[in-house]
Amino acid sequence: MNDQIRKHLQWIEERQHRKLRRNLMPDEWQRICDEIRDPSKPMAERVTRRLELFLEMEQPVWMEHTHIQGLRTIIEFPDIYAPGEMDEIKTRHFVHEKGKVTNIACDYGTVLTEGLEGRRARLHAGLEQEDEAAKAFAAYTDRTLDAVEQFADRYAQLYEAHGDMARAQALSRAIRYGAQTMEEAMQCFRMIHFSFWAADNYHNTVGRFDQYMYPFYQKDIASGLLDEESALSLIEDFFLSFNVDSDLYYSLQWGDNGQSLMLGGCKRDGSSAVNELTTLAMKASLAIRQIDPKLNLRVDKNTPLALYELGTQLTRMGMGFPQYANDDVVIPGLLRWGYDIEDARDYTVAACWEYIVPNVSMDIVNIDAMPMAEVAHGVISECLPYASTFEDLLQEISCRLHNRALKMVQKHACLYMEPSPMASILMRGFLEAKRDISEGGKYNNYGVHGTGFSCAVDQLAAVRRFVFEEGSVSREELLEALGANFEGHEQLRHRLRTEAPKIGRDEEARMLGNRLLKMFAEALDGLHNERGGCYRAGTGSAMYYLWHSRELPATADGRDAGQPLPANFSPALFITRTGPLSVLRGFALSALPLAVNGGPMTLELHDTVFKAEDSVEKVARLVQSFMLQGGHQLQLNAVNREKMKKAQEHPEEYGDLIVRVWGWSGHFVELDKAYQDQIIARTEFGI
Amino acid sequence: MKGLIFSIEEFAVHDGDGLRTAVFFKGCPLRCRWCHNPEGLLPKPQRIRNHNGCVQCGRCAGACPTSDDCTACGHCAAYCPMGLIRIAGEYWEAADLALRVKRSFPAGVKGGVTLSGGEVFMQPQFLLELLECLKPLHRAIETSAYCAQDVFAQALEKLEFVFMDVKIMDDERHCHYTGVSNQRILANLETLKSSGVPFTIRVPVIAGVNDSLENIRQLGDRLRGCATLRTVELLPYNTMAGAKYPLLDWNYEETFEPPEPSRLNQLADALSQMDIPAKYRRQA
Repeated sequence: MNDQIRKHLQWIEERQHRKLRRNLMPDEWQRICDEIRDPSKPMAERVTRRLELFLEMEQPVWMEHTHIQGLRTIIEFPDIYAPGEMDEIKTRHFVHEKGKVTNIACDYGTVLTEGLEGRRARLHAGLEQEDEAAKAFAAYTDRTLDAVEQFADRYAQLYEAHGDMARAQALSRAIRYGAQTMEEAMQCFRMIHFSFWAADNYHNTVGRFDQYMYPFYQKDIASGLLDEESALSLIEDFFLSFNVDSDLYYSLQWGDNGQSLMLGGCKRDGSSAVNELTTLAMKASLAIRQIDPKLNLRVDKNTPLALYELGTQLTRMGMGFPQYANDDVVIPGLLRWGYDIEDARDYTVAACWEYIVPNVSMDIVNIDAMPMAEVAHGVISECLPYASTFEDLLQEISCRLHNRALKMVQKHACLYMEPSPMASILMRGFLEAKRDISEGGKYNNYGVHGTGFSCAVDQLAAVRRFVFEEGSVSREELLEALGANFEGHEQLRHRLRTEAPKIGRDEEARMLGNRLLKMFAEALDGLHNERGGCYRAGTGSAMYYLWHSRELPATADGRDAGQPLPANFSPALFITRTGPLSVLRGFALSALPLAVNGGPMTLELHDTVFKAEDSVEKVARLVQSFMLQGGHQLQLNAVNREKMKKAQEHPEEYGDLIVRVWGWSGHFVELDKAYQDQIIARTEFGI
Repeated sequence: MKGLIFSIEEFAVHDGDGLRTAVFFKGCPLRCRWCHNPEGLLPKPQRIRNHNGCVQCGRCAGACPTSDDCTACGHCAAYCPMGLIRIAGEYWEAADLALRVKRSFPAGVKGGVTLSGGEVFMQPQFLLELLECLKPLHRAIETSAYCAQDVFAQALEKLEFVFMDVKIMDDERHCHYTGVSNQRILANLETLKSSGVPFTIRVPVIAGVNDSLENIRQLGDRLRGCATLRTVELLPYNTMAGAKYPLLDWNYEETFEPPEPSRLNQLADALSQMDIPAKYRRQA
């Protein structure tokens, strides 16, 4: 890290940038609301006007030690909805989250290469022959392009004011006509990404950085403008730019800002996409040690150990990333859902871990969740008294998954999505089609999480072993114990917890897990949403694991009523007598290609593991072993439980403790206590 | 046949090359006064009770079917609301244990199994059977080599690597600190040297007990020129050694100290001067 970057990092860590922020004055706020919350105006008009106002009111500020300028100064800006308006919309529509275009991966390669005027040319080509709706779309999009260009111009003026004529001119030119160098591309990215956030879109992912940035890198290396060292510095500087505003961008928890970045994998033609930027990006992240951007690494059966080792260096820092994705599982899975092969090979990650196709897709990857543990509990408590075989119970599970899936589809009808000229500019094909991305993309598939997966499997495995195979527990006793939340049935609960088969330890539970995952995927197969998209099963849980657990009574795996479910694709919280190898094997299921919406196997490694001299090699082999066995996605944490407990008592002393919560890393002390407790309770392996 | 195991640890990072699963045999003939694995000493199952977080509810006592002596029946464990009680020591059939280890072991990945303890040679027939069942995994043991020579030789035929502890060269002091003579140990060291099986010697280094140059040079004399010796690891006394005694309701009253880092350096240098590769591990 060079001196300039170090100073900039220190400036950020001292939170100096936050001092440059302001809240809008009440009269400013009111004036904006009057303009953009007028229900008589079209939504697209209000969205466009909002962005114009936001970018106009943003005061460019100079950061001394960086070449990637751009700092958000307005803390909060009103949205376009009048009080009660969204509630009214919800009476007529299904609204996902905030009703906005989110979780997409933009075509940064094209945008940075041709500039915003290049985008405008596509918008205007053939516009004369189009209908009024297209012309209206074009008008909003034109204004959006103007607003971003003018915003960048004001930053150019700031460069000029600080005597940097070269960068001033370069920025004004590059934002319009395309970047010539990697630094220009990064500066333009910053202006555009800033504007994308300002447009009230969120979970704005960073995509395949090492792919779209590579042509600029190659050119700069060839011309001698950059060498490897200066390129690394530039990437460090660029990565730091993701950390100045990140605390303002959140959805449900701080840190959940979706600035995810994908590295490695294969190109659209199937050849290896790993290049110098793949490793430089990891090295840059290793140097700056900031939680943004969040790195993901695509691997396959041919990935060399050295790349895993580089990833492990990051894990060892306690960053909670990289998160690994296995091409050998994900790509076949995406093909099954009808993605074209070139698009499938081009996949990247949404805000957390859902797999998305860049440029063209308007998938809603987290539209709903299937409460697997609840379904299993329902079947056991209602059907166990009269089921003649264990298979009867499984068939009933399958039926209920199908029924719930059908209800889900009905619920998702009549989707409302706010128009986004900004997103339409950044994606591929919408300008040519003169159509807003909110109306749908090339792919419009919906992703469904499967929450409480291991709890569901373990409940069924326990019932099969104890009730149907051994007969050591009677149906009546089990149901009575569940109904009494194990009061007076402590021995049974203990047996269920410790002796019953568990996924992540016992082979029979693993096989059952495979069947259950397949059933979940098949329950969604063949269903279509109103946009013609399919439904994708996944292994994630997001925040549903906490929501679903609160209402869930005692379960046959020995879990008490209300006790948390494990997050994502992980073993029971109270599993014992297992280890990382068994856990990884337990979750490397052959049914995974049917359920690649995303959702990582999450493995906690005690940070003392990393004190062994060859620990990096060993952890790298551990990750590799999961992928070679057919795992789809893996996220490793280096954690220290004692440290976390101390942090709960003395949050003031542990401001820098970073943990991964579901798909993202955040500062531990800033999380709600329920999440903190969950992390502390997660299975962790030491030496 | 069955053997008594007190822990199976996957991804043991200090016990050999690559990914390793360590299996801990329960029962040990030595009584090293610095032992940090007290639950490995007795060849029978034992109750482990974590006092941290105990809310003194008394339900464990209420549930106990044997009012005086603990038989490690484990009945109480179910009643602890905090989940603080477990039984250390589980009987495994050799074939089942081997299957358990092998099944979790990913194919084609470098690594294997390391059998440790306790003392693996406290259960010699089980050890030999288990080693046979563990083929084709890479097999290592961690041992004090305090055992009969013929059993030791038989085991070596089934091993790809050996970690052997040599604590003190002087027999009288060895008896004083470990409770047993080192005669068998040193005899088995000769067997190991000539067996062709690659090995590492581990020396727990305790200030004032075995951190003299004389002790390490005597060890060096025995190891010099041995081609199958990979390294000598000097392990400073673990100041956490007493941590697990309260779990067994035992006291640990020893006041050992690790050697100064400079002393460790000297010992390693002394070995290096004898052309013996040496390294020392700092405390984790």
